[in-house]
Amino acid sequence: MEHPTAKKDPLEEKLENLTDADIEKILAEFRRRFRAADVAAVHTCMRCGLCADACHYYLANGELEDLPAYKLNLVLSVFKRHFTTAGKLLGGWTGAKKLNAAMVREWVDTLFGRCSGCGRCTINCTSGINIHALIRAARGALAAAGLVPPELQATVMTAVEQGNNMGIPRQEWLETIAWIEEELRAETGDPQARIPVDARGARILYTVNPREPKFFPLSLLAAAKMFTAAGESWTFSSDHYDVTNYGLYSGDDAHAGLLSERLVKAREDLGAEILVLGECGHGFASTRWEAPQWLNKRFPFPVKSVLEVAADYVREGRIRLNPSRNRKPVTLHDPCNLVRLGGVIEEQRYLLRNAVTDFREMTPNRQKNYCCGGGGGQLSMTRYAKRRLAAGRIKADQIRKTEAEIVVAPCHNCIDQLTELSREYKLGTEAKTVIEVVANAIVLPGKTRS
Amino acid sequence: MTLIGLLRFLTIGAAAFCVAALTFLTFRTFAFGRREYFSAPRGYAGNGIIYAFGRGMLEKESVALHRPTFAGGILYHGAIFAGLIYLFWTVLLPKTGPPLWAFRPVLLAGAAVGLALFIKRAAKPHLRRLSCPDDFFANLFVDVFLALAFLHTYVPALEPVLLSVSILLFVYIPLGKIRHCFFFFYTRFVFGLHYGRRGALPGSSREA
Repeated sequence: MEHPTAKKDPLEEKLENLTDADIEKILAEFRRRFRAADVAAVHTCMRCGLCADACHYYLANGELEDLPAYKLNLVLSVFKRHFTTAGKLLGGWTGAKKLNAAMVREWVDTLFGRCSGCGRCTINCTSGINIHALIRAARGALAAAGLVPPELQATVMTAVEQGNNMGIPRQEWLETIAWIEEELRAETGDPQARIPVDARGARILYTVNPREPKFFPLSLLAAAKMFTAAGESWTFSSDHYDVTNYGLYSGDDAHAGLLSERLVKAREDLGAEILVLGECGHGFASTRWEAPQWLNKRFPFPVKSVLEVAADYVREGRIRLNPSRNRKPVTLHDPCNLVRLGGVIEEQRYLLRNAVTDFREMTPNRQKNYCCGGGGGQLSMTRYAKRRLAAGRIKADQIRKTEAEIVVAPCHNCIDQLTELSREYKLGTEAKTVIEVVANAIVLPGKTRS
Repeated sequence: MTLIGLLRFLTIGAAAFCVAALTFLTFRTFAFGRREYFSAPRGYAGNGIIYAFGRGMLEKESVALHRPTFAGGILYHGAIFAGLIYLFWTVLLPKTGPPLWAFRPVLLAGAAVGLALFIKRAAKPHLRRLSCPDDFFANLFVDVFLALAFLHTYVPALEPVLLSVSILLFVYIPLGKIRHCFFFFYTRFVFGLHYGRRGALPGSSREA
């Protein structure tokens, strides 16, 4: 029996007290988000179920609710019932279903709790239906009625209210940079080495996942070392350096747009030529691909992943790498938002081939790679942690087969999940970012450390 | 007008209704507006579209891991197309009968594969639970059409039955799942466009 003073889950409370007005709000937002291609998907899905093998949730758990076509049809059935003539006329015969309290509850549990938005089902769908995007549209409709799991919503709101999703105070950020700057000087042996902050007119404005200053400051050092070695003109912003955007996961375009706008404005204020995104899969997809849609405008400046910049450094000879400094066997995890949904596919491979002696591909890889399970806001939605770890078994099996000791992932969310998977499935692997591995291999002028 | 004459006329009318209804549905679909892309492309949309209708059709796991189903699906849809040609040939050119030897094996195989797909949907628990009545009905409806077309190649007297079923089929197409055959191409086109401009597809062919 529940303790009388136990605090009730606010999401559960909201679901129990759902009003007609809430349902109307969900439907209105849901309808607003649909474009021709989405409506065509309603008419296209044959419920063939051949997407089953594409989903790590389904492969790991084998439950009907994990089947991508099931998740998709939760979304499409509601559209059919409320916004198509055939659905209104024939109802359940065509699979059309009314959005009621029970359906809303299933939407929340399934669309938030059984999908990491990795898009693997989309590229393997018989018809090419943008399944993960339709699931995000439904998440956004739920967000309009305040039905985002509170842990995920809290991450969004922390970023909105405090400028970064870890709630790091400005002073702490600046102190961390000052500390890393000292480390950089020691590492490079250059007393003039700097980590610029708010430097006007720098070529690059660099953004990072706030997990770096909070938990992984050596990632900051790695990037700083690389930029220094390349003689790059770069800077951080003292206020807007957070590349993450959990609005992508909550489906809330308004907050997602607001977070993106800050980076756009920071670049403009500092007069940087290029907005460079640190190693964060969803941060890349958000800022590179979705932000222009959220903000309804074209960006008059390039947005690049730090991997693209680093690969250019190696190609142009601006940094020299000594792969013998990374002798342990390394495998590469492809973050879904960066690779399958982002198009940055070969740069990380080019860098690793130059930075390590033993690089082993997982199978499958690149666009076909399995999601680690950490995306879609799953890492913040602790209520679904068991499912997340169970679904991660597919990735763990992939890693184990490579017999690698280091798993490299250009994404901090993935790194967190891969670290947990290593513990859970006793893989004995260490997770690192690409730039950390590259930085370790950099040959600094006048230094011959091996 | 004879009964056959009337049924032939109604068949053409039902087909016209089907095309008109699908056209109307298309207009309604596009009334939702097309998505304008504001992000700068990283790859070529054209390459993505070519991939979507070419290599991508074979590489997707829904095909690569399910070759028999894929082969069955191709045969089934080919047979439906053949069945429609046979039907219109019968209706519009009754004096120059279609080459029966060419249609018979295709129609028979199509009906058999259709039935196999029906059994698969009914027998696999998750597929069954995923399905709605329309999934079974549309499948059977088309199978009956193919079977009748096949039988008609031997028994011309079945023409009134074939035409009656065809009329109902044409009326049903815009209402049920069979309309997927019409929207599939647009969905696949948008898929190729979306991932092509992102440079995600076709991407590298060096997958391990």
